Amino acid sequence: MPLDTTSTYSTTLLRLDGRRWNELRKISASISTQPTADGSSLVTTGNTSVVCTITGPREGRGQGDRTNAIVDTDINIAPFAQLDRRRVGRTDKRVQELQTTISQAFQAHLFTHLYPRSSILISLTVLSLDGGLLSTCLNAASIALIDAGVPMPSILASITTGTIIPTDNSLSRPEPVLDLNNAEEVELPFMNLATVRGQTGSEDQISVLLMETRVQMSEANNPLEIMLRIGLDGCAQVRSHLEEVIRRHGRRMTQGRR
Amino acid sequence: MPRIADVSNVEKNFILEALISSKLRLDGRQLDQYRSIDLTYGQQLGNATVTLGKTKVNVQISAEVTKPSEERKFDGIFTITTELSPIASPGFEIGRPTEQEVLLSRILEKAIRRSRAIDTESLCIVAGQKCWSVRADVHVLDFDGGLTDACCIATMAALHHFRRPEVSVEGERVTIHTMAERVPVPLSILHSPICVTFSFYADGELVLLDATAKEEQVREAEMVVTANDFEVCQIAKHGGKPVDPAIVVKCFQVAIFKAREMNKSMRARLTADLAKRDIRGQSAENERGEAPIG
Repeated sequence: MPLDTTSTYSTTLLRLDGRRWNELRKISASISTQPTADGSSLVTTGNTSVVCTITGPREGRGQGDRTNAIVDTDINIAPFAQLDRRRVGRTDKRVQELQTTISQAFQAHLFTHLYPRSSILISLTVLSLDGGLLSTCLNAASIALIDAGVPMPSILASITTGTIIPTDNSLSRPEPVLDLNNAEEVELPFMNLATVRGQTGSEDQISVLLMETRVQMSEANNPLEIMLRIGLDGCAQVRSHLEEVIRRHGRRMTQGRR
Repeated sequence: MPRIADVSNVEKNFILEALISSKLRLDGRQLDQYRSIDLTYGQQLGNATVTLGKTKVNVQISAEVTKPSEERKFDGIFTITTELSPIASPGFEIGRPTEQEVLLSRILEKAIRRSRAIDTESLCIVAGQKCWSVRADVHVLDFDGGLTDACCIATMAALHHFRRPEVSVEGERVTIHTMAERVPVPLSILHSPICVTFSFYADGELVLLDATAKEEQVREAEMVVTANDFEVCQIAKHGGKPVDPAIVVKCFQVAIFKAREMNKSMRARLTADLAKRDIRGQSAENERGEAPIG
Protein backbone atom coordinates (compact mmCIF):
# COMPACT_ATOMS: atom_id res chain seq x y z
CA MET A 1 0.00 0.00 0.00
CA PRO A 2 1.54 3.34 -0.99
CA LEU A 3 2.35 5.69 1.85
CA ASP A 4 2.22 8.92 -0.13
CA THR A 5 -0.36 10.64 -2.28
CA THR A 6 1.87 12.04 -4.99
CA SER A 7 2.89 8.74 -6.53
CA THR A 8 -0.58 7.28 -7.01
CA TYR A 9 -2.72 10.37 -7.52
CA SER A 10 -2.09 10.82 -11.24
CA THR A 11 -3.35 7.28 -11.99
CA THR A 12 -6.22 6.93 -9.54
CA LEU A 13 -7.29 10.56 -8.96
CA LEU A 14 -8.04 9.43 -5.40
CA ARG A 15 -6.23 10.34 -2.21
CA LEU A 16 -4.98 7.80 0.30
CA ASP A 17 -8.25 7.73 2.22
CA GLY A 18 -10.30 7.38 -0.96
CA ARG A 19 -11.48 10.99 -1.23
CA ARG A 20 -11.50 13.03 -4.40
CA TRP A 21 -9.66 16.32 -4.57
CA ASN A 22 -12.59 18.47 -3.46
CA GLU A 23 -14.23 16.13 -0.95
CA LEU A 24 -14.27 17.32 2.64
CA ARG A 25 -14.02 14.87 5.50
CA LYS A 26 -17.21 14.21 7.41
CA ILE A 27 -17.88 17.22 9.67
CA SER A 28 -20.13 16.55 12.63
CA ALA A 29 -20.76 19.66 14.72
CA SER A 30 -22.84 19.82 17.89
CA ILE A 31 -23.76 23.02 19.64
CA SER A 32 -24.53 23.57 23.34
CA THR A 33 -22.89 20.33 24.40
CA GLN A 34 -22.15 21.62 27.92
CA PRO A 35 -25.18 23.48 29.33
CA THR A 36 -23.22 24.84 32.33
CA ALA A 37 -20.83 26.83 30.15
CA ASP A 38 -21.90 30.14 28.61
CA GLY A 39 -21.34 28.60 25.20
CA SER A 40 -20.04 25.25 24.06
CA SER A 41 -19.60 23.07 21.01
CA LEU A 42 -17.99 19.88 19.78
CA VAL A 43 -16.68 19.75 16.21
CA THR A 44 -15.27 16.62 14.61
CA THR A 45 -13.68 16.86 11.15
CA GLY A 46 -12.74 13.36 10.08
CA ASN A 47 -10.57 12.14 12.95
CA THR A 48 -9.82 15.58 14.40
CA SER A 49 -12.04 16.34 17.38
CA VAL A 50 -12.15 19.62 19.33
CA VAL A 51 -14.35 20.66 22.27
CA CYS A 52 -14.84 24.37 22.81
CA THR A 53 -16.30 26.24 25.77
CA ILE A 54 -16.83 29.98 26.04
CA THR A 55 -16.70 31.90 29.29
CA GLY A 56 -18.07 35.38 28.90
CA PRO A 57 -18.63 38.10 28.12
CA ARG A 58 -17.82 38.78 31.76
CA GLU A 59 -16.10 41.48 33.78
CA GLY A 60 -12.59 42.10 32.56
CA ARG A 61 -9.64 42.09 34.94
CA GLY A 62 -7.30 45.01 35.42
CA GLN A 63 -6.77 47.64 32.78
CA GLY A 64 -9.02 46.14 30.19
CA ASP A 65 -9.71 47.97 26.98
CA ARG A 66 -12.30 50.59 27.79
CA THR A 67 -14.09 50.45 24.46
CA ASN A 68 -13.96 46.78 23.41
CA ALA A 69 -14.14 43.33 24.94
CA ILE A 70 -10.85 41.41 25.01
CA VAL A 71 -10.83 37.92 23.50
CA ASP A 72 -8.47 35.35 25.03
CA THR A 73 -7.85 31.81 23.90
CA ASP A 74 -6.61 28.77 25.75
CA ILE A 75 -5.72 25.57 23.90
CA ASN A 76 -5.15 22.27 25.62
CA ILE A 77 -4.00 19.37 23.44
CA ALA A 78 -4.78 16.15 25.30
CA PRO A 79 -1.80 13.76 25.64
CA PHE A 80 -3.83 10.98 24.00
CA ALA A 81 -4.77 13.12 20.99
CA GLN A 82 -1.92 12.02 18.75
CA LEU A 83 -0.47 8.66 17.76
CA ASP A 84 2.25 8.83 20.44
CA ARG A 85 1.29 9.83 23.94
CA ARG A 86 2.83 13.23 24.37
CA ARG A 87 2.26 16.07 26.84
CA VAL A 88 2.19 19.39 25.02
CA GLY A 89 3.20 22.14 27.45
CA ARG A 90 1.49 25.51 27.75
CA THR A 91 4.67 27.32 26.83
CA ASP A 92 5.07 25.49 23.54
CA LYS A 93 5.52 28.23 20.92
CA ARG A 94 3.37 26.45 18.36
CA VAL A 95 0.42 26.37 20.78
CA GLN A 96 0.97 30.00 21.75
CA GLU A 97 0.94 30.97 18.10
CA LEU A 98 -2.37 29.14 17.58
CA GLN A 99 -3.84 30.84 20.63
CA THR A 100 -2.80 34.27 19.40
CA THR A 101 -4.16 33.58 15.93
CA ILE A 102 -7.58 32.52 17.22
CA SER A 103 -7.78 35.47 19.64
CA GLN A 104 -6.84 37.99 16.99
CA ALA A 105 -9.20 36.48 14.43
CA PHE A 106 -12.22 36.80 16.71
CA GLN A 107 -11.08 40.10 18.23
CA ALA A 108 -11.49 41.67 14.79
CA HIS A 109 -14.60 39.70 13.84
CA LEU A 110 -16.95 39.82 16.85
CA PHE A 111 -18.93 42.92 17.77
CA THR A 112 -16.67 43.59 20.74
CA HIS A 113 -17.70 47.23 20.99
CA LEU A 114 -20.97 46.03 22.55
CA TYR A 115 -19.10 44.72 25.61
CA PRO A 116 -16.58 47.33 26.79
CA ARG A 117 -14.37 46.49 29.77
CA SER A 118 -15.26 42.79 29.40
CA SER A 119 -13.39 39.66 28.53
CA ILE A 120 -14.38 36.62 26.49
CA LEU A 121 -12.40 33.42 27.07
CA ILE A 122 -12.33 30.68 24.42
CA SER A 123 -11.17 27.35 25.87
CA LEU A 124 -10.37 24.64 23.39
CA THR A 125 -9.57 21.04 24.21
CA VAL A 126 -8.23 18.86 21.43
CA LEU A 127 -9.31 15.26 21.92
CA SER A 128 -8.02 13.77 18.72
CA LEU A 129 -5.64 15.17 16.13
CA ASP A 130 -5.49 14.13 12.48
CA GLY A 131 -4.68 17.28 10.53
CA GLY A 132 -6.57 20.57 10.32
CA LEU A 133 -6.00 21.58 13.95
CA LEU A 134 -6.32 25.34 13.51
CA SER A 135 -9.31 24.99 11.19
CA THR A 136 -11.27 22.73 13.52
CA CYS A 137 -10.46 24.98 16.48
CA LEU A 138 -11.71 28.06 14.62
CA ASN A 139 -14.91 26.29 13.52
CA ALA A 140 -15.57 25.00 17.04
CA ALA A 141 -14.98 28.45 18.55
CA SER A 142 -17.27 30.01 15.94
CA ILE A 143 -20.35 28.01 16.83
CA ALA A 144 -19.57 28.01 20.55
CA LEU A 145 -19.56 31.83 20.41
CA ILE A 146 -22.96 31.73 18.71
CA ASP A 147 -24.18 29.50 21.53
CA ALA A 148 -22.84 32.02 24.05
CA GLY A 149 -24.85 34.71 22.34
CA VAL A 150 -21.92 36.90 21.28
CA PRO A 151 -23.04 38.85 18.21
CA MET A 152 -21.02 38.64 15.01
CA PRO A 153 -21.71 39.67 11.39
CA SER A 154 -21.27 36.15 9.93
CA ILE A 155 -19.91 32.73 10.76
CA LEU A 156 -16.12 32.45 10.59
CA ALA A 157 -15.36 29.19 8.79
CA SER A 158 -11.98 27.60 8.18
CA ILE A 159 -10.38 24.83 6.15
CA THR A 160 -7.02 23.60 4.90
CA THR A 161 -6.06 23.44 1.23
CA GLY A 162 -3.06 21.79 -0.29
CA THR A 163 -1.62 21.10 -3.69
CA ILE A 164 -0.24 17.98 -5.33
CA ILE A 165 2.71 18.90 -7.50
CA PRO A 166 3.20 16.13 -10.02
CA THR A 167 6.78 14.86 -9.89
CA ASP A 168 6.86 12.78 -13.04
CA ASN A 169 5.49 15.20 -15.61
CA SER A 170 6.34 18.76 -14.65
CA LEU A 171 4.26 20.16 -17.50
CA SER A 172 0.93 19.05 -16.07
CA ARG A 173 -0.95 21.38 -13.78
CA PRO A 174 -0.63 21.21 -9.99
CA GLU A 175 -3.77 19.70 -8.46
CA PRO A 176 -5.41 21.41 -5.47
CA VAL A 177 -6.86 19.29 -2.63
CA LEU A 178 -9.27 20.28 0.13
CA ASP A 179 -9.21 19.39 3.83
CA LEU A 180 -5.95 17.54 4.43
CA ASN A 181 -5.46 14.87 7.05
CA ASN A 182 -2.24 14.45 9.03
CA ALA A 183 -0.45 12.22 6.53
CA GLU A 184 -1.21 14.64 3.70
CA GLU A 185 -0.11 17.65 5.78
CA VAL A 186 3.29 16.07 6.32
CA GLU A 187 3.74 15.33 2.63
CA LEU A 188 2.09 18.14 0.66
CA PRO A 189 2.43 21.94 0.75
CA PHE A 190 -0.73 23.31 2.35
CA MET A 191 -2.30 26.41 3.83
CA ASN A 192 -4.80 27.12 6.61
CA LEU A 193 -7.53 29.49 5.52
CA ALA A 194 -10.40 31.12 7.43
CA THR A 195 -12.95 33.44 5.83
CA VAL A 196 -15.94 35.52 6.81
CA ARG A 197 -18.77 36.67 4.58
CA GLY A 198 -18.03 39.92 2.80
CA GLN A 199 -20.35 42.88 2.43
CA THR A 200 -23.31 42.27 0.14
CA GLY A 201 -22.04 41.87 -3.37
CA SER A 202 -18.39 41.29 -2.57
CA GLU A 203 -16.77 37.92 -2.07
CA ASP A 204 -15.71 36.30 1.18
CA GLN A 205 -12.93 38.10 3.03
CA ILE A 206 -9.83 36.34 4.35
CA SER A 207 -9.47 36.47 8.12
CA VAL A 208 -6.67 33.96 8.74
CA LEU A 209 -4.11 32.69 6.25
CA LEU A 210 -1.20 30.54 7.40
CA MET A 211 1.20 28.63 5.22
CA GLU A 212 4.47 27.07 6.34
CA THR A 213 5.59 25.28 3.19
CA ARG A 214 7.26 26.46 0.00
CA VAL A 215 5.13 26.93 -3.09
CA GLN A 216 6.29 28.14 -6.47
CA MET A 217 4.84 31.27 -7.99
CA SER A 218 4.48 31.02 -11.73
CA GLU A 219 2.75 33.20 -14.26
CA ALA A 220 0.25 30.63 -15.50
CA ASN A 221 -1.48 28.01 -13.31
CA ASN A 222 -0.16 29.65 -10.19
CA PRO A 223 -0.51 26.90 -7.54
CA LEU A 224 -0.74 29.44 -4.75
CA GLU A 225 -3.64 31.31 -6.30
CA ILE A 226 -5.42 28.08 -7.23
CA MET A 227 -5.08 26.84 -3.62
CA LEU A 228 -6.52 30.12 -2.36
CA ARG A 229 -9.52 30.08 -4.70
CA ILE A 230 -10.35 26.46 -3.89
CA GLY A 231 -9.93 27.26 -0.21
CA LEU A 232 -12.43 30.12 -0.41
CA ASP A 233 -14.94 27.69 -1.89
CA GLY A 234 -14.16 25.11 0.76
CA CYS A 235 -14.70 27.65 3.54
CA ALA A 236 -18.07 28.53 2.03
CA GLN A 237 -19.02 24.84 2.12
CA VAL A 238 -17.98 24.56 5.76
CA ARG A 239 -19.87 27.75 6.57
CA SER A 240 -23.14 26.48 5.12
CA HIS A 241 -22.74 23.25 7.08
CA LEU A 242 -22.14 25.15 10.36
CA GLU A 243 -25.08 27.46 9.64
CA GLU A 244 -27.34 24.45 9.13
CA VAL A 245 -26.27 23.03 12.51
CA ILE A 246 -27.02 26.36 14.20
CA ARG A 247 -30.42 26.72 12.55
CA ARG A 248 -31.39 23.17 13.49
CA HIS A 249 -30.46 23.89 17.10
CA GLY A 250 -32.40 27.15 17.04
CA ARG A 251 -35.49 25.39 15.70
CA ARG A 252 -35.23 22.75 18.41
CA MET A 253 -34.90 25.44 21.09
CA THR A 254 -37.90 27.48 19.93
CA GLN A 255 -40.08 24.39 19.54
CA GLY A 256 -39.14 23.20 23.00
CA ARG A 257 -40.20 26.51 24.52
CA ARG A 258 -43.68 26.45 23.09
CA MET B 1 5.02 46.23 34.15
CA PRO B 2 6.40 48.77 31.72
CA ARG B 3 4.41 49.17 28.53
CA ILE B 4 4.80 51.09 25.36
CA ALA B 5 2.61 54.19 25.45
CA ASP B 6 -0.49 53.71 23.32
CA VAL B 7 -0.64 55.98 20.32
CA SER B 8 -2.87 58.94 21.14
CA ASN B 9 -6.23 59.41 19.44
CA VAL B 10 -5.06 62.60 17.78
CA GLU B 11 -2.03 60.88 16.25
CA LYS B 12 -4.12 57.90 15.22
CA ASN B 13 -6.72 60.02 13.47
CA PHE B 14 -4.04 62.10 11.77
CA ILE B 15 -2.17 59.07 10.43
CA LEU B 16 -5.35 57.41 9.17
CA GLU B 17 -6.76 60.55 7.59
CA ALA B 18 -3.50 61.35 5.83
CA LEU B 19 -3.39 57.79 4.47
CA ILE B 20 -7.00 57.52 3.40
CA SER B 21 -7.58 60.96 1.92
CA SER B 22 -4.20 61.73 0.38
CA LYS B 23 -2.19 58.48 0.50
CA LEU B 24 0.48 60.28 2.52
CA ARG B 25 2.64 58.68 5.17
CA LEU B 26 4.12 60.52 8.17
CA ASP B 27 7.66 60.38 6.78
CA GLY B 28 6.58 61.13 3.21
CA ARG B 29 7.35 57.68 1.78
CA GLN B 30 5.33 55.98 -0.94
CA LEU B 31 2.93 53.27 0.19
CA ASP B 32 5.22 50.52 -1.13
CA GLN B 33 8.54 52.11 -0.24
CA TYR B 34 10.93 50.65 2.31
CA ARG B 35 12.95 52.87 4.63
CA SER B 36 16.64 53.09 3.92
CA ILE B 37 18.26 49.74 4.70
CA ASP B 38 21.84 49.73 5.90
CA LEU B 39 23.72 46.44 6.20
CA THR B 40 27.10 46.33 7.91
CA TYR B 41 29.22 43.37 8.88
CA GLY B 42 31.09 43.20 12.15
CA GLN B 43 34.69 42.27 12.77
CA GLN B 44 33.93 38.59 13.26
CA LEU B 45 32.64 36.43 10.46
CA GLY B 46 28.92 35.85 10.84
CA ASN B 47 28.08 39.13 12.56
CA ALA B 48 25.66 41.39 10.70
CA THR B 49 23.82 44.54 11.73
CA VAL B 50 20.81 45.79 9.79
CA THR B 51 19.35 49.25 10.21
CA LEU B 52 15.86 49.76 8.77
CA GLY B 53 15.10 53.40 9.39
CA LYS B 54 15.39 53.60 13.19
CA THR B 55 15.01 49.86 13.76
CA LYS B 56 18.37 48.21 14.43
CA VAL B 57 18.98 44.47 14.63
CA ASN B 58 22.23 42.57 15.17
CA VAL B 59 22.66 38.87 14.45
CA GLN B 60 25.63 36.75 15.50
CA ILE B 61 26.13 33.24 14.13
CA SER B 62 28.15 30.70 16.11
CA ALA B 63 28.84 27.02 15.65
CA GLU B 64 29.95 24.26 17.97
CA VAL B 65 30.30 20.51 17.73
CA THR B 66 27.69 18.48 19.56
CA LYS B 67 25.78 15.21 19.44
CA PRO B 68 22.92 15.14 16.92
CA SER B 69 19.37 14.45 18.10
CA GLU B 70 18.15 10.85 18.27
CA GLU B 71 15.40 11.38 15.72
CA ARG B 72 17.65 12.93 13.09
CA LYS B 73 21.02 11.21 13.18
CA PHE B 74 22.14 12.46 9.78
CA ASP B 75 21.30 16.11 10.33
CA GLY B 76 23.07 18.91 12.12
CA ILE B 77 21.25 21.32 14.41
CA PHE B 78 20.24 24.85 13.52
CA THR B 79 18.50 27.13 16.02
CA ILE B 80 17.44 30.75 15.94
CA THR B 81 16.97 32.55 19.24
CA THR B 82 15.38 35.96 19.53
CA GLU B 83 15.25 37.84 22.74
CA LEU B 84 13.64 41.26 22.89
CA SER B 85 15.05 43.34 25.72
CA PRO B 86 14.23 46.79 27.11
CA ILE B 87 17.19 48.14 25.12
CA ALA B 88 14.94 48.11 22.11
CA SER B 89 11.70 49.39 23.58
CA PRO B 90 10.08 49.84 26.99
CA GLY B 91 7.39 47.36 25.98
CA PHE B 92 9.82 44.43 25.95
CA GLU B 93 10.79 42.52 29.05
CA ILE B 94 13.41 39.79 29.32
CA GLY B 95 12.08 36.41 30.40
CA ARG B 96 8.45 37.27 29.74
CA PRO B 97 7.90 37.01 26.00
CA THR B 98 4.98 39.02 24.73
CA GLU B 99 2.65 37.76 22.02
CA GLN B 100 4.61 39.83 19.54
CA GLU B 101 7.88 38.15 20.52
CA VAL B 102 6.39 34.67 20.19
CA LEU B 103 5.01 35.49 16.75
CA LEU B 104 8.32 37.00 15.64
CA SER B 105 10.24 33.95 16.78
CA ARG B 106 7.75 31.60 15.10
CA ILE B 107 7.82 33.51 11.81
CA LEU B 108 11.63 33.54 11.71
CA GLU B 109 11.67 29.85 12.53
CA LYS B 110 9.18 29.03 9.77
CA ALA B 111 10.87 31.32 7.27
CA ILE B 112 14.43 30.19 7.78
CA ARG B 113 14.53 26.91 9.67
CA ARG B 114 11.44 25.07 8.48
CA SER B 115 11.88 26.18 4.89
CA ARG B 116 15.34 24.58 4.98
CA ALA B 117 17.35 27.63 4.05
CA ILE B 118 20.36 25.90 5.60
CA ASP B 119 21.19 22.38 4.45
CA THR B 120 21.38 20.66 7.84
CA GLU B 121 22.62 17.41 6.30
CA SER B 122 25.87 19.13 5.37
CA LEU B 123 26.36 19.94 9.06
CA CYS B 124 26.69 16.29 9.97
CA ILE B 125 30.23 15.15 10.83
CA VAL B 126 29.85 11.57 12.03
CA ALA B 127 26.31 10.22 11.74
CA GLY B 128 24.72 9.72 15.13
CA GLN B 129 27.74 10.96 17.06
CA LYS B 130 29.01 14.35 16.05
CA CYS B 131 27.45 17.22 14.17
CA TRP B 132 27.64 20.98 13.96
CA SER B 133 25.13 22.97 15.94
CA VAL B 134 24.74 26.36 14.26
CA ARG B 135 23.07 29.01 16.33
CA ALA B 136 21.78 32.39 15.22
CA ASP B 137 21.35 34.90 18.05
CA VAL B 138 19.13 37.81 17.10
CA HIS B 139 19.52 40.92 19.22
CA VAL B 140 17.14 43.78 18.68
CA LEU B 141 18.94 47.00 19.53
CA ASP B 142 16.28 49.54 18.62
CA PHE B 143 12.63 49.12 17.72
CA ASP B 144 10.64 51.31 15.35
CA GLY B 145 8.49 48.80 13.47
CA GLY B 146 9.50 46.40 10.70
CA LEU B 147 11.05 43.98 13.17
CA THR B 148 10.30 40.79 11.23
CA ASP B 149 11.72 42.18 8.01
CA ALA B 150 14.88 43.50 9.64
CA CYS B 151 15.52 40.31 11.66
CA CYS B 152 15.14 38.12 8.59
CA ILE B 153 17.48 40.19 6.44
CA ALA B 154 20.05 40.34 9.22
CA THR B 155 19.89 36.60 9.86
CA MET B 156 20.28 35.68 6.19
CA ALA B 157 23.10 38.20 5.74
CA ALA B 158 24.92 36.81 8.76
CA LEU B 159 24.44 33.22 7.58
CA HIS B 160 25.89 34.03 4.16
CA HIS B 161 28.81 35.74 5.87
CA PHE B 162 29.63 33.06 8.45
CA ARG B 163 32.45 30.58 8.01
CA ARG B 164 32.78 27.45 10.13
CA PRO B 165 36.05 25.62 10.85
CA GLU B 166 37.02 22.87 8.44
CA VAL B 167 36.68 19.30 9.71
CA SER B 168 38.52 16.19 8.52
CA VAL B 169 37.39 12.68 9.44
CA GLU B 170 39.78 9.71 9.34
CA GLY B 171 37.93 6.56 10.35
CA GLU B 172 36.94 7.21 13.95
CA ARG B 173 39.12 10.27 14.51
CA VAL B 174 37.68 13.70 13.84
CA THR B 175 40.01 16.67 13.60
CA ILE B 176 38.63 20.19 13.78
CA HIS B 177 41.11 22.54 12.19
CA THR B 178 41.50 26.02 13.59
CA MET B 179 40.93 29.08 11.47
CA ALA B 180 44.67 29.50 11.06
CA GLU B 181 45.38 25.91 9.93
CA ARG B 182 42.76 25.47 7.27
CA VAL B 183 40.56 27.97 5.53
CA PRO B 184 37.10 28.05 7.14
CA VAL B 185 34.15 26.81 5.14
CA PRO B 186 30.92 28.71 4.32
CA LEU B 187 27.56 27.21 5.29
CA SER B 188 25.54 25.42 2.65
CA ILE B 189 22.64 27.79 2.01
CA LEU B 190 19.96 26.43 -0.29
CA HIS B 191 17.84 29.55 -0.75
CA SER B 192 17.55 33.05 0.67
CA PRO B 193 14.15 33.83 2.22
CA ILE B 194 13.20 37.47 2.87
CA CYS B 195 10.20 38.49 5.00
CA VAL B 196 7.92 41.24 3.71
CA THR B 197 5.34 42.66 6.11
CA PHE B 198 2.12 44.13 4.72
CA SER B 199 -0.05 46.38 6.90
CA PHE B 200 -3.71 46.89 6.02
CA TYR B 201 -5.83 49.98 6.63
CA ALA B 202 -9.24 51.33 5.60
CA ASP B 203 -11.11 48.00 5.55
CA GLY B 204 -8.25 46.26 3.80
CA GLU B 205 -8.15 48.62 0.85
CA LEU B 206 -4.89 50.39 1.67
CA VAL B 207 -1.73 48.32 1.92
CA LEU B 208 1.54 49.66 3.33
CA LEU B 209 4.98 48.15 3.25
CA ASP B 210 7.44 48.57 6.12
CA ALA B 211 5.29 50.28 8.74
CA THR B 212 6.94 52.30 11.50
CA ALA B 213 5.99 51.64 15.12
CA LYS B 214 3.24 54.27 15.06
CA GLU B 215 1.82 52.98 11.79
CA GLU B 216 1.90 49.45 13.25
CA GLN B 217 -0.18 50.51 16.23
CA VAL B 218 -2.99 51.93 14.12
CA ARG B 219 -3.17 49.21 11.48
CA GLU B 220 -6.17 46.91 11.18
CA ALA B 221 -4.36 43.76 10.09
CA GLU B 222 -0.91 42.54 9.11
CA MET B 223 0.37 39.79 6.88
CA VAL B 224 3.96 38.56 6.64
CA VAL B 225 4.87 36.92 3.34
CA THR B 226 8.30 35.29 3.15
CA ALA B 227 9.65 34.74 -0.33
CA ASN B 228 12.93 33.83 -1.97
CA ASP B 229 13.75 34.58 -5.58
CA PHE B 230 11.06 32.35 -7.07
CA GLU B 231 8.95 30.76 -4.32
CA VAL B 232 6.73 31.87 -1.50
CA CYS B 233 8.11 30.19 1.63
CA GLN B 234 5.53 31.09 4.19
CA ILE B 235 2.48 33.28 4.70
CA ALA B 236 1.28 34.44 8.11
CA LYS B 237 -1.90 36.38 8.63
CA HIS B 238 -2.70 35.74 12.28
CA GLY B 239 -6.26 37.06 12.32
CA GLY B 240 -6.90 40.78 12.33
CA LYS B 241 -9.47 42.49 10.12
CA PRO B 242 -10.57 40.35 7.14
CA VAL B 243 -9.08 41.32 3.78
CA ASP B 244 -10.19 40.85 0.16
CA PRO B 245 -8.55 37.83 -1.52
CA ALA B 246 -7.67 39.77 -4.67
CA ILE B 247 -5.52 42.13 -2.59
CA VAL B 248 -3.87 39.17 -0.87
CA VAL B 249 -2.85 37.63 -4.20
CA LYS B 250 -1.35 40.94 -5.32
CA CYS B 251 0.67 40.98 -2.08
CA PHE B 252 2.27 37.65 -2.99
CA GLN B 253 3.60 39.09 -6.23
CA VAL B 254 4.90 42.21 -4.51
CA ALA B 255 6.64 40.03 -1.92
CA ILE B 256 8.58 38.05 -4.54
CA PHE B 257 9.57 41.23 -6.32
CA LYS B 258 10.84 42.85 -3.11
CA ALA B 259 12.64 39.65 -2.10
CA ARG B 260 14.54 39.60 -5.40
CA GLU B 261 15.53 43.25 -4.94
CA MET B 262 16.67 42.66 -1.37
CA ASN B 263 18.66 39.53 -2.23
CA LYS B 264 20.46 41.32 -5.02
CA SER B 265 21.55 44.22 -2.81
CA MET B 266 22.49 41.81 -0.01
CA ARG B 267 24.72 39.81 -2.35
CA ALA B 268 26.40 43.02 -3.51
CA ARG B 269 27.18 44.05 0.08
CA LEU B 270 28.45 40.58 0.92
CA THR B 271 30.92 40.49 -1.99
CA ALA B 272 32.09 44.00 -1.11
CA ASP B 273 32.77 43.03 2.51
CA LEU B 274 34.52 39.77 1.68
CA ALA B 275 36.66 41.62 -0.85
CA LYS B 276 37.68 44.04 1.89
CA ARG B 277 38.80 41.20 4.11
CA ASP B 278 40.81 39.81 1.21
CA ILE B 279 43.05 42.83 0.92
CA ARG B 280 46.09 40.94 2.01
CA GLY B 281 45.14 37.90 -0.01
CA GLN B 282 43.99 35.76 2.90
CA SER B 283 40.63 34.63 1.62
CA ALA B 284 39.33 31.13 1.14
CA GLU B 285 39.57 31.51 -2.60
CA ASN B 286 43.29 32.38 -2.74
CA GLU B 287 46.31 30.18 -2.15
CA ARG B 288 48.05 31.28 0.98
CA GLY B 289 51.32 30.87 2.83
CA GLU B 290 51.88 31.34 6.54
CA ALA B 291 50.52 34.90 6.71
CA PRO B 292 48.50 35.41 9.91
CA ILE B 293 44.91 36.53 9.65
CA GLY B 294 44.99 40.32 10.12
